[in-house]
Amino acid sequence: MAGISIERVSKRYGTVAAVRDLSLEVRDREFVTLLGPSGCGKTTLLRLIAGLLAPDAGTIRVGGSTLSSAEAVVPPERRGMGMVFQNYAVWPHKTVYENVAFGLAVRRIRGAAARERVARVLDLVNLGGLERRFPGELSGGQQQRVALARSLVVEPQILLLDEPLSNLDAKLRERMRWELKELQRRTGITFVYVTHDQAEAMALSDRIAVLHEGMLLQIGVPREVYARPASRVVADFMGLVNLLPGRVVHAGADESLVSVAGGDPIRCAARAPLAEGAAVQVAIRPESLRLARDGVPAAVGEGALHGKLADVTFLGNLIDCHVVLDDGTRVRVQADSGAALQPGQALRLAFDGETCTVFPA
Amino acid sequence: MSGALARSEPLVARWTIRAEHVVMLLAAVALTVLVILPLTSLLLGSVSGESGLTLGHFREALSRRLYVQALRNSLVLGAWTALLSVVVGLPMAWAVSRTDVPGKPFIHATATIAYLTPPYLTAIAFVYLFSPNAGLVNRWVRDVLGLPSLTFNIHSMAGLVLVTVLHTFPFVYLLAASALESIDASMEESARMLGAGWWRTLRVVTVPLVAPAILAGALIAFVNAIALFGSQAIIGLPGRIFTLPTRIYALFDHPPQYGLASALSLIFVAITVLALAIQRRYLARRSYVTLSGKGHRPQVVALGRARWGALAFCCAIFLVAVLAPYVTLLAVSVSRSWGLEFWQNLTLAHYRFILFEYDVTRRAIVNSLGLAAAAATITVLLGSVIAWGDLRTRLPGMRVLDYASLVPLGLPGIVVAVALIQFWLRVPVPIYGTLLIILLAYAGRYVPLAVRSANAAFRQIDPSLEETARVTGAGWLRTFGSITLPLARPGLVAGWLLVFVPAIQELSASILLFSSGSITLAVAVYNLYETGYLGPVAALAIVTMVIIGSAIWLATRVGRAGARVERAGVAH
Repeated sequence: MAGISIERVSKRYGTVAAVRDLSLEVRDREFVTLLGPSGCGKTTLLRLIAGLLAPDAGTIRVGGSTLSSAEAVVPPERRGMGMVFQNYAVWPHKTVYENVAFGLAVRRIRGAAARERVARVLDLVNLGGLERRFPGELSGGQQQRVALARSLVVEPQILLLDEPLSNLDAKLRERMRWELKELQRRTGITFVYVTHDQAEAMALSDRIAVLHEGMLLQIGVPREVYARPASRVVADFMGLVNLLPGRVVHAGADESLVSVAGGDPIRCAARAPLAEGAAVQVAIRPESLRLARDGVPAAVGEGALHGKLADVTFLGNLIDCHVVLDDGTRVRVQADSGAALQPGQALRLAFDGETCTVFPA
Repeated sequence: MSGALARSEPLVARWTIRAEHVVMLLAAVALTVLVILPLTSLLLGSVSGESGLTLGHFREALSRRLYVQALRNSLVLGAWTALLSVVVGLPMAWAVSRTDVPGKPFIHATATIAYLTPPYLTAIAFVYLFSPNAGLVNRWVRDVLGLPSLTFNIHSMAGLVLVTVLHTFPFVYLLAASALESIDASMEESARMLGAGWWRTLRVVTVPLVAPAILAGALIAFVNAIALFGSQAIIGLPGRIFTLPTRIYALFDHPPQYGLASALSLIFVAITVLALAIQRRYLARRSYVTLSGKGHRPQVVALGRARWGALAFCCAIFLVAVLAPYVTLLAVSVSRSWGLEFWQNLTLAHYRFILFEYDVTRRAIVNSLGLAAAAATITVLLGSVIAWGDLRTRLPGMRVLDYASLVPLGLPGIVVAVALIQFWLRVPVPIYGTLLIILLAYAGRYVPLAVRSANAAFRQIDPSLEETARVTGAGWLRTFGSITLPLARPGLVAGWLLVFVPAIQELSASILLFSSGSITLAVAVYNLYETGYLGPVAALAIVTMVIIGSAIWLATRVGRAGARVERAGVAH
């Protein structure tokens, strides 16, 4: 079992709290991403798990043994984890083979057994035949694979990855993304992955943990975090979002009737109990708004907004519209690129209640 | 399976004694023994008299003519040396970095060799040329040209300043050249575009940008100049010019006056520390000189015909600072008698004497080689640990340790010797008169150079390279040994050389600490000189230079083997 239990962990740097009273469960064989903007504490949390940092409070346990607490910390070399750094950290004075075999040498595995394991792991990351090369002679992507092979060869139960793809170019990043996911499935290693790229997080993870100012805001499967953000910060960080003013017309247990931007009330799911008559903010993703010509009647139960098209940008597979609503609010709409639109044109925006998330104002 | 490590031992977090903590503690102990305890003893010794605490030693040091005169001479020597170092070093720096003067590598080499030449060897060479009666040039001027008024007495303040400047001008040269090179042409061109003439541009842009570096170089020249025991004894004593180091040295004649020597030493330290403090302030301000790293394109002035004048100036410096001393020493070392017809009786007997017949010089060579190698190795290891601790850990006290390791920068060699004597005569460990106390002196004196080198080397290494090794299962010692040190090797080899070269020629501290069994190369040269063995002195001087040259050659070879690492490591 290699689940990780993080309980009420805090870490300060001087007067700055990098991680605040944070609790998080990572299950065995799970791919969990720590997502957040720079300075949110995600790298600090990863280094706490690795044992490179000691917590000021709280505990970190793996499979029943306490590895970190404020009193004592198991040093990183005795945790049997693997770690891949943003800058690869491939040792420039060792060949690819020596880099990968280092962890085996530490464990006194040498000779034929070591050669065989190194060869196998290099094949796994598609680096077979490059054993004698020095890192200076490899491309960035190849160095990244060496770092990966080096941490995989000792067969860790937990692999920690700190923005491993951020130094690669876009195309290679996409391929490595896919390879990482595939690798995790095949090896059954628990992955904890740090990134600030929400698209990467959604593509890779079983679950995403969104961090902000040292706190865990939400953890859940990608679809849930995207579609049902727990707070405005999460909604904002997970992609483009429109925040519209609303008012609660009727408060129910699971669903409420909310009037969005002065329109007819529609049924929305709420994250928290709402009070009748309360002012709220309603989050709607740009792709959840549909463009319709003004005057065409709305379907039953559908929300509607009215405004004028201010600007439209052609993005190839879709168009990105800025619409100014009648009350002056600006919203973004992303739609199929088929529609021919003119700036200044009056528009009706249709949306479904279940795509909205309601937050207290 | 998560590796044998995790399974064989239960994973329980507990306070264990970690290798890095033990090593850091050892470093702290070493630094205490090398620097802090001797310095404390020096302080105590300076204020303790026969009946308890007293300020009598300081009173005597600051009131008796004997010592006040020495203090004044030291300051005069330092001030003239600093000034003339700028006069010599700055034009050379400007010529190399900002003009199209021919022979730039040659000019640079002149400064480097002048810096590497042991100053007491330059002094001895100039005595052979300019001693009032027997000096070769003086005899030629007097006897051949018949112009006795043109003779020059080297045993004067002017002579002492001349010989000292030949060793110290490279400080100004190196600092000024790097400052001049770091000014991007665009800064000066902007001034020109705004309508300033070249003179105004020089005054308003260039000079203010490099002035701190020049001043810093002058102050380092000052501090080094006043600390040189060898040249001050060789040039000054026959002319009855006493300075602080030679006065302190004289206080160890029987009966030794430890208290007074300690008080004088502390006054000496105060002057040095003051100068270095000013220098630090100015060098710190230098940070606004564009140290951004790349893209510097210094503005190069086409000198036209004047470039031959600039080259002639540099050639004159080469003639006086390098050619004259080396040719003189070489000539003396192979001639049976030193005089106007010295070439008629060439011999290798002096070399045979010092290398095979005279056991004192043979012992001195072996001792110095061993001492310098040991001191360089010890200081580089100690410096590595201290620098690593300062850069990579948050252990309490690392800052203090780092500062303590820089203290010896403010200690002239002879003061280190006085402090060590004060300490080791008080404790019941009989190392006075052994090689060990000299090793302690060298290690203590040069540990700052090693700490600086190691610090610079480690800064180049991204911490994640070490952290990866830890996560992969290597303990601290293994990580330090197989990742950190190999990656830092080029920098550490440079640091080793930086300690070895001054240690092999060390005189200021050794002169008070040696015994017949622990005699060193420089002390042997000095003693042979004192007893008037002209030929063997010169031969030993040449041997010293050969050793220094070979060490540099060897170290660059070893350093170059790490070039592959450097090349590949740049990415990080």
